[in-house]
Amino acid sequence: MKRRTFVAAAASLPAVNILSGTARAQSKEIRMIESGGASGESIEKGYIEPLFKKTGIKVVRESPSSLGKLRALVESGQTTTTLFELGSGIVQQAKKLGLIEKIDWAAVDPAPMFPEAKAEYGFGYQYFSTIMAWRKGVKEPKTFAEFFDSKAFPGKRCLPDFPHYCLPFALQATGVPIDKLFPLDVDLAFKKLNEVKKDVAVWWKAGAQPPQLMKDNEVQYSICWSGRVVGDPAFGLNFAGGKADLSFIAIVKGSSPENKAAAHKLFHEMSLPENQAKAAEVISYTGPSPNLDPLLPKDKLWQFPTSKQNKAVQYFENAEWWADNGEAVNKKWEAFKLNL
Amino acid sequence: MRSTGFSFVAPLLVLMVVAFNLPILYMLGLAFWEKGRGFTLEHYEGLVEAPVYLRVLGNTMRIPVIATLANVIIGYPLAHWMRGLQNRARLVAIALVVLPFWVSILVRTYAWIVVLGNGGLVNRALQWLGLTDAPVSFLYNELGVTIGMANVLLPFLVLPLFAAMIRIDDRLMQAAASLGASPRTIFWKIYFPLTLPALAAGTLLVFILCLGFYVTPAILGGGRVPMISNLLDTLINQIPRWEQASAISTVLLIVTLAIFAAYRRLDRKASL
Repeated sequence: MKRRTFVAAAASLPAVNILSGTARAQSKEIRMIESGGASGESIEKGYIEPLFKKTGIKVVRESPSSLGKLRALVESGQTTTTLFELGSGIVQQAKKLGLIEKIDWAAVDPAPMFPEAKAEYGFGYQYFSTIMAWRKGVKEPKTFAEFFDSKAFPGKRCLPDFPHYCLPFALQATGVPIDKLFPLDVDLAFKKLNEVKKDVAVWWKAGAQPPQLMKDNEVQYSICWSGRVVGDPAFGLNFAGGKADLSFIAIVKGSSPENKAAAHKLFHEMSLPENQAKAAEVISYTGPSPNLDPLLPKDKLWQFPTSKQNKAVQYFENAEWWADNGEAVNKKWEAFKLNL
Repeated sequence: MRSTGFSFVAPLLVLMVVAFNLPILYMLGLAFWEKGRGFTLEHYEGLVEAPVYLRVLGNTMRIPVIATLANVIIGYPLAHWMRGLQNRARLVAIALVVLPFWVSILVRTYAWIVVLGNGGLVNRALQWLGLTDAPVSFLYNELGVTIGMANVLLPFLVLPLFAAMIRIDDRLMQAAASLGASPRTIFWKIYFPLTLPALAAGTLLVFILCLGFYVTPAILGGGRVPMISNLLDTLINQIPRWEQASAISTVLLIVTLAIFAAYRRLDRKASL
């Protein structure tokens, strides 16, 4: 019943707008908490500016976004922040904790989108890859088996300090093909990591660390986010075996209807391929439109997570598996880190 | 008289209680009280069942011990040397010790990367001199964290120690010498015991400050030196399991308060 009134309200929304004018139906300014850096600027250029031009709605950005912050926002009862950026696994967790709201897709009225991006609780707005990269001049690995083989490829490594990144890559090094990674053989992955941990100089928490450490020659090989290294002549990289993932923007629980209406307008802008092409000029990540590829510069297609040649060689993050097993794996991860 | 004094501090007191003490109490209570379920000790049980948290706490005790010892080994001779300087040189020496205080801890911590990194000043000098073939790993391990901590906290040890040392009357040593004591005996029987309370108080102060370090292990530890603040960051910001974080914080707070009580006793002795 709730759903029906919901859909009915959504369907009648444009009519209400015409009748009562837009002044009361939506806010003129909403706030968003996102990841920051170049990614935040791409949201500004790609989506916030076109929205402002069309509707006069301002979106104020803040960063960084962490699940703890979202929990604090909701539990303290504040509703000034409407939009929140979350990773694919985190969306599941936030949903379980009751921190985000369903998206009213009828009100968004999006242009065609890849189905996984059109989720019940989040707008999948940005594909990004986690890949192997290295400092130019060292021996170049082609697979993760080679990447983790420090005898044949000498040099220090820099790996993410997050199990959901490291474990699947370590499994690939034991010979598991990318389509058979899930359900993860956690013990086998940790066994491999225990073999290679002596070669890992730094476990990174911030995405800016690996490129800087490679430039400083503190480490020679990294697993890092593709957008941080593509196009920089100091680095070599390979998408093979990489992880393609989707970042989501969700609506904070308890947001007012006016703010939600404005958020839906922003979501609509985010679904348009021409806006996604603008965002991709700022950072080499891609939006969820199937019609985006022809709008991207031909000579840069190799840099994007979703272009054909890259999508084929990567695996896609399995957020459901992590939602079920993440907590147990996290404890094992902390124990593993203590024995470094 | 007493009441007028109180009315002056009352606003500050209210601010402290409302903005600081109450939230801390709420935070500590999180571990005991769950919405809709009432009193629980589950999160403390979790602490005992998952030894990983207690081991991080152990790590958090061990590294500060090393950093504090390093501070004593460097700081005591430094303070003693400063005591012997002429007035002007002494001022310069104090200025040099205090100077790092004015530089942001973030800047100081990053500066160590420039100095101690694989391509840093020290490693390049060592290789140029032919002492080593490959770069020595100073950073991204416990050594790096210890160096960083010792550097940040040195003034906290040197300044109180120096203050205690200049109060020692030279005539005490002269009297001992005139009675035939050797310099070594004078140092161990007279000088050192007089500095001991200040040394102990300064040591505990440095140790307590070490316990809460976040930036230094985060940057110079390379994610390989787990300390309690970094674990709390994960539990609060990422996972987010505030209840567990609250239980760990409570344990840390009790340990710190116990050490602080010891510090107060020693500090009172030192200022007598």
